[in-house]
Amino acid sequence: MKKLEFIYEDGAHKWAVVARDPEKPNHLIDTNEYLVLNGSEALLADPGGMEIFSAVFSAISAEIDPYTIRHLFASHQDPDVISSLALWLDFNPDLKCHLSWLWGSFVPHFGGTAETFVAIPDEGATISLGGLMLDAVPAHYLHSSGNFNLYDRKARILFSGDVGAALLPPEESGLYVENFDRHIRHARDFHRRWMGSNKAKLSWCERVSRLDIDMLCPQHGAIYRGEDVKRFINWFADLDVGSGIRD
Amino acid sequence: MDIMDDIDQISSLHRVVKANEDIKKVIRISSGVNLVALNAMLIAKRSGERSRGFAVVSSELRLFSRNLDIAMTGLGELIFSLVRDAATMQRQRQQRSHFMTVMSRNKSMRKWVEPTLARVEARMGSVEEEISRDWHKLRLQLNRVLQLCESGRSLSRSAKIEAVYGGDMSATLKQVANQIEGTVDEIFSTLKLLRMQLAE
Repeated sequence: MKKLEFIYEDGAHKWAVVARDPEKPNHLIDTNEYLVLNGSEALLADPGGMEIFSAVFSAISAEIDPYTIRHLFASHQDPDVISSLALWLDFNPDLKCHLSWLWGSFVPHFGGTAETFVAIPDEGATISLGGLMLDAVPAHYLHSSGNFNLYDRKARILFSGDVGAALLPPEESGLYVENFDRHIRHARDFHRRWMGSNKAKLSWCERVSRLDIDMLCPQHGAIYRGEDVKRFINWFADLDVGSGIRD
Repeated sequence: MDIMDDIDQISSLHRVVKANEDIKKVIRISSGVNLVALNAMLIAKRSGERSRGFAVVSSELRLFSRNLDIAMTGLGELIFSLVRDAATMQRQRQQRSHFMTVMSRNKSMRKWVEPTLARVEARMGSVEEEISRDWHKLRLQLNRVLQLCESGRSLSRSAKIEAVYGGDMSATLKQVANQIEGTVDEIFSTLKLLRMQLAE
């Protein structure tokens, strides 16, 4: 079963990741769900697909009271990101789901009412989590046309959605990137195919290189720390994306 | 009452989450017993011959804390599996509700929807059986932990009596004995309340 692991702790301000499910069927892509806690409030970033709801819910409940989750953040509209929405709302109908305005009438097909959604404008927004300010950072076209990352300037953590994702073989599926050159081989094809615009990519690289980031946390694969964050941004800036179709 | 209403009642995710939070609270408290028992042993050792009786009791308390730890791990595993199954049930309940809506909107759909609905309900039935088994095991395990706590309470009472014979260490020993009694009582009353809630 998936397990929750804390990756940052400063008093009541914490980040945790629910990752690596050995019981997950092979036809489902493995996902990381991130939980940001601040006192008695929590936000769950990219809560995952409905098929893994029970694994994510039980992993979270083993460590924290799931009623503390007041916000969901969906980086974009994909089913592995947010198709569990209706199940989360069954549990707590008052949950707020923050996502790009672009998907405001698409994601409700997974569930929710007009009151559920908080539309994020293209330029981004700030989400208050019990007084902690989290920034929705634009990452449009990477890969979705309405796409956001989530930045915690106090923890210096960037949840980067699909950016930085890697499809790791089981023998290299550690939670953190330990050897950048080895790791990035598993990220190359993913980024070439899923990221559609070199212009959008460079704009993102320029934007996030201005942020202080200790950890870059993707929705798939391993977390980049310290110097590897900069290495990743430089690597991504140089990569020719929108070019991954195999002949 | 519809059989599915019974299922809703037994497998309600809210009910399981509430029990899970209570059990996590007890697990947190019980992890302190080990430290208090270890402290009691060290103090008894320092007091030497004067508190031989207290040393015997504190060594029993250490054993009790180990058994409590094992019992709590079992309780934690059971509730984890219940949360997982209740979450799975929630997904199936939602699927069932979609098919019920289709049927209620258009009666002529019944012949197509009914077999699918039957399959969904069969799956719900098997998860429900698993959940019922887990609840049963949880209640049994709760009773075991409560019995264990009874023995812990007796030990803490004995520790209080033995503390009286501790000479100039008597006050310290009494303080430790009170600490043990307080912790065990807190676990006992929380678990008793939980058992009552689960019986409702």
